[in-house]
Amino acid sequence: MTTAPTVEQLAPTRTAKVLKASLKHIITFGLIIFVWEILGRTGQLNRLILPWPSLIGAQLLDLFFISGKIYFHFFTTLAEAVIGFFIGVSIGISLAVGAAFSPRFRRYIAPYAVVFNVTPGIAVAPMIIAWFGFGWSSKIALAALVCFFPPFVNTLTALMRTDEDATDLFRSLGASKREYFWKLQLPNAIPLIFAGLKLALTGALLGTIVAEFFSASAGVGILMQRFAFALQIDGSFATLLTMSAMGLMLFTLMEVLDYRLVFWKRDSRMDSVSKKRAARWRSRHGAIEVS
Amino acid sequence: MSTETESVEVEFVPERGFNPIHFVVHILIFAVLIGVWETANRLSWVDPLLFPRPSGIVEGMYSIFIGKGGIWPHLGNTFGKAMGGFAIGTLIGMALATGAAVSAGFRDYLKPYIIIIEAMPRIAVGPIFIAALGFGWSSAVALAALVCFFAPFVNTMTGLLQVDEETEELFRSLGASKREIFFKLRVPNAMPLIAAGVKLAVAGAFAGALVAEFISATTGLGVLMRRYVMTLNMEFSFATLLSITFFGFLLFRTMEAINYRVIYWHAEPLMQKRSRRLASRWESTMDAVAVNQSAAVAPGAVK
Repeated sequence: MTTAPTVEQLAPTRTAKVLKASLKHIITFGLIIFVWEILGRTGQLNRLILPWPSLIGAQLLDLFFISGKIYFHFFTTLAEAVIGFFIGVSIGISLAVGAAFSPRFRRYIAPYAVVFNVTPGIAVAPMIIAWFGFGWSSKIALAALVCFFPPFVNTLTALMRTDEDATDLFRSLGASKREYFWKLQLPNAIPLIFAGLKLALTGALLGTIVAEFFSASAGVGILMQRFAFALQIDGSFATLLTMSAMGLMLFTLMEVLDYRLVFWKRDSRMDSVSKKRAARWRSRHGAIEVS
Repeated sequence: MSTETESVEVEFVPERGFNPIHFVVHILIFAVLIGVWETANRLSWVDPLLFPRPSGIVEGMYSIFIGKGGIWPHLGNTFGKAMGGFAIGTLIGMALATGAAVSAGFRDYLKPYIIIIEAMPRIAVGPIFIAALGFGWSSAVALAALVCFFAPFVNTMTGLLQVDEETEELFRSLGASKREIFFKLRVPNAMPLIAAGVKLAVAGAFAGALVAEFISATTGLGVLMRRYVMTLNMEFSFATLLSITFFGFLLFRTMEAINYRVIYWHAEPLMQKRSRRLASRWESTMDAVAVNQSAAVAPGAVK
């Protein structure tokens, strides 16, 4: 692993480093695609089981640029998942806040939480379809149901797990209950809550897609199933890639939000935020002095 | 971009200890819930067809488990698929993770694919598997394996990589070989996290098998449930859901019991028991040594 450091390695610029790191990934990826394609073209692969990259690429091109029929399905699923996510998360977090503040409430919902935890939420899918019908409401309901649990557990755990020394400090400084919540408990809990939200986001997407597998008229789930049942596996692979892109997009959005909001978890962000705040304070202070 | 794949293990821990008053209140709350549900159904406040009454669900449970016993073949089928997928997925996940933990190069090359797999809704591969592998058990096993492979992978890798630096230094200064560091430091250190990942994987495998059956299969709990709902036999579908919950709970408990046994150094009483046993074994070997020594001093005396 250890090679003699060259000049480049001793003083690599950031972009050069990134380029170099991604180059080898690109080469490996290209190689895999190439071998896959060759295998496919020479007839080693069954088109109905594992289509080769150019077929999938052609389908992607068709879905996105030629017929453009993916957009309708894409945005339907996205909207259903996001709405379900917000409903599930708000229910989960509010229940968790209630449970964190009232031991009695916590005690009496505990058995139901345990039952909830061991039931795969997706198993309720057929009933949800029966209750909410074949339209978008059943997808939202299943998404909310599947994604409700992680924010609930994480929020509850995070709110209950406050550093005792910090609590003592707050109490000895005469902090009110409200200050204690807003300035200690909540900031302390946010990183874990965000971790729960990330899990919930994947869950919401999953719930929506599974509900669409059952019966739907729009959405990437039904698109994929149609392709698969027509044995156009290249089309379903293209849809799968689209789903991955959607997941990756939502996930990255969450990561960015996490990075911006939870600035005290990473040193570099902490530095920049505190510098900004100091500058703001100084300018205000200077303004006071001048006036 | 650093997408650190963080694994969060949080558990909802109910209170320990038994308080009779709390227990009675629990029962009361449950009874009131069931009572309201039953009355709402009998007086048709809710659609009795879609929200069956609790007594009907109990009757349904009786029927599918004991009366007609229709659930048993499906239960065994789904259980087998989930366990097969679980075994395959967990093995693949752990093997990949061990490779990634041992070799930094492998880890580096694996990372982009792992990020994509993480972001992908894995259950969504279901229709492709069914088209490729058919309607039988193999597609369900494959989907279960795919769904459950990720949690053991991430947790094993994180656990193996996350070693206390001072302990590692101690091992190194005592002249431990690489293999010793791996088996005596990294693996024991990673066990609790791995166990948490495996626990998640069990739930994932169950969900994967169910979804594959929902999409299309001939036997299994998913098919059973879908059939009941499609014929609006909601009592029976609720009964099936409850049995899924029950067996999920059973699996979960089994995993916890296994964890408790295997990771004995996290459970105080087991640790004490084991160390007592080790100590007594050590003492007995020392006695043997002492006896041998005395035998050497006075030959023939002991025999």
